[in-house]
Amino acid sequence: MTASVKTRLSIADPRYIEAADFLYKEADMLDELREREWLTSMVSADIVYQVPIRQTVERARGTGFERSTFHLNEDHGSLSARVARGETKYAWCEDPPSRVRHFITNIQVFADAADADELAAKSNILLFRTRQDQTTPQLLSGVREDVLAREDGELKLRRRTVLLDHTVIATHNLSMFF
Amino acid sequence: MADQAGNATQGDTVSRVIRELGEGLPEGKIPASIFGNKEIYDAELRKIFGRSWVYLAHESEIEANGDYVVRKIGEDNFIVARDETGVVNVMFDACRHRGVAVCRSDSGNTSHFRCPYHGWTYSTDGKLVGAPLWKNAFGGMSKEDNGLLKAAKSDSYQGLIFATLDRSAPELREYLGGMAYYLDLLFGLDNDGVEVLGPPQRFVVDANWKSGMENFSGDDYHLGTLHRSVWEIGAFPIAFRENMMGYHIQASPGHSLSFSMAEDADEPGPHFFGFPDDLAENFDTSRINEHQLDVARRSRVMVANVFPNFSMLALPMSENGELHAPTGIITIRTWQPKGPDKIEIWNWFVGYKNMTPEQKERSYRAGLATFSVGGSFEMDDTEPWITIARNGKSVAAEMLDFKLNYQMGMPGTGIAHEVDDWAGPGIVYWSRYEEGVQRNAYDFYQKMMEADAGQWPDLKFPPGAESRSRRESAAG
Repeated sequence: MTASVKTRLSIADPRYIEAADFLYKEADMLDELREREWLTSMVSADIVYQVPIRQTVERARGTGFERSTFHLNEDHGSLSARVARGETKYAWCEDPPSRVRHFITNIQVFADAADADELAAKSNILLFRTRQDQTTPQLLSGVREDVLAREDGELKLRRRTVLLDHTVIATHNLSMFF
Repeated sequence: MADQAGNATQGDTVSRVIRELGEGLPEGKIPASIFGNKEIYDAELRKIFGRSWVYLAHESEIEANGDYVVRKIGEDNFIVARDETGVVNVMFDACRHRGVAVCRSDSGNTSHFRCPYHGWTYSTDGKLVGAPLWKNAFGGMSKEDNGLLKAAKSDSYQGLIFATLDRSAPELREYLGGMAYYLDLLFGLDNDGVEVLGPPQRFVVDANWKSGMENFSGDDYHLGTLHRSVWEIGAFPIAFRENMMGYHIQASPGHSLSFSMAEDADEPGPHFFGFPDDLAENFDTSRINEHQLDVARRSRVMVANVFPNFSMLALPMSENGELHAPTGIITIRTWQPKGPDKIEIWNWFVGYKNMTPEQKERSYRAGLATFSVGGSFEMDDTEPWITIARNGKSVAAEMLDFKLNYQMGMPGTGIAHEVDDWAGPGIVYWSRYEEGVQRNAYDFYQKMMEADAGQWPDLKFPPGAESRSRRESAAG
């Protein structure tokens, strides 16, 4: 379900506040590398988590996203495998870990009056990363299109599509989570 | 070479280091400076990328007439376009009028390329077809002499499109030499061949392109340390020690590869790089011979590099070992040079055309989760390569005469030994505790770096050097 078919909520709407609170809490957890906790407490078992490949194309052809080919295409099982890999003693690329900061802005929340248990959220992300003694940060910028679904009374991340502002990924790996 | 030595030391870093490389290779010693020195990199752009056959695209990326993609030879952009007659053209992306890039998208379908500066317009075969107010501006001037510049030669093999900027280059088939046999075995395993599963993933690593070249020439030994995490999550089904069994092959000068194979031909598998048995049974293998088929059947992993920077890897992988048994994946990639310490990795997944959509999806997902920018294997690979380039460009490497060790499997070192039971081309070792595959790439590299314009190093090993000649003499 895309955000556009739902109604855009006011920033004062309790559902907006709930969604924004979710996104900030999540970003904090990922900044602190509490990835197992994030996966367990904030991510739905039905998660679809995708970062599609983008190409440079003429304006008439749209934004250049290839929505069937990806940099990342994950479900709960493969996300679990990624988290588990990071917890082994041999995850060299993140040990010592990168410093990663998630800057989440421009949050918009959309809801369907008929479905109180599902919110769509759109947010800009700037991911700032340094590694070892790097002084020039690696930056990734994009927009996240999320679906947050209420499961047992709590919001969970059920869908995340990260549309990056890059055709060439300017970092040596995507070991972090968006 | 000894005569040149005296002159070369007079401040000429490139000749000195390349000479040292030539002197060190027979002892398995390689100067670290080749992995970061700026002057060496600049020389490589001309002597390696300006002359070798460089991989650009797969035919399945430009299937229809008018389809095009933009690709790189060295750091330069080339349009690879299928013209209105179905012929593939490789053209320098630069207008003949002022040198402006005429292709504005990474890929697409078009009837022409129009320069945005003054409007010179070219058809998809590169011919100049017009410009605004032609008669007033250029009436009487030849259009034929002003088409887009083509690569000196372009050709394809097994659907793989290559080009070279060197008019003196041998033909592609001759350049590929013994490696063609192994490309057949992988890409021609099924009669209809392979197709790309989408556009390439591109990402930048602060490393030297040769780290990719040598890793895919057959560096199997690094799995046990660098990739140890993937066994712990069940992404790869063959234990490290077991996976070291197999063959290392110097297919022909420059091109190397490696197969993981069980010692026992009747070992239960995985076979065919992990592709499902029912899939493999349906392959039409009429294009390859019995030995090639037997090698493919027994192979758990194939990893190879076509000199200089085109690599491929086929092996069983899973993105979630608890849910999905590993399945065959094939990644093909280029290590695109962007500086002495910068590579842009272009990564495609390919699947056999005759696989079902479900099989392609399974293979794609498993590949993406392992050998890609976010993959569990690949994300660790780039970690050591970054510091190889950092140390490669160091003053310390130069001042302390830092030579890297490529001695694994040399006589008296380890257990690898040359075989006399191999029917295919090349110099072949059992098992994979061996770095002759890398030395083969660097030996050809060294010769290319020293070769004068118009001169080519031997593309064949000397008579009697290939392992099958041992087989023949053993039999005779």
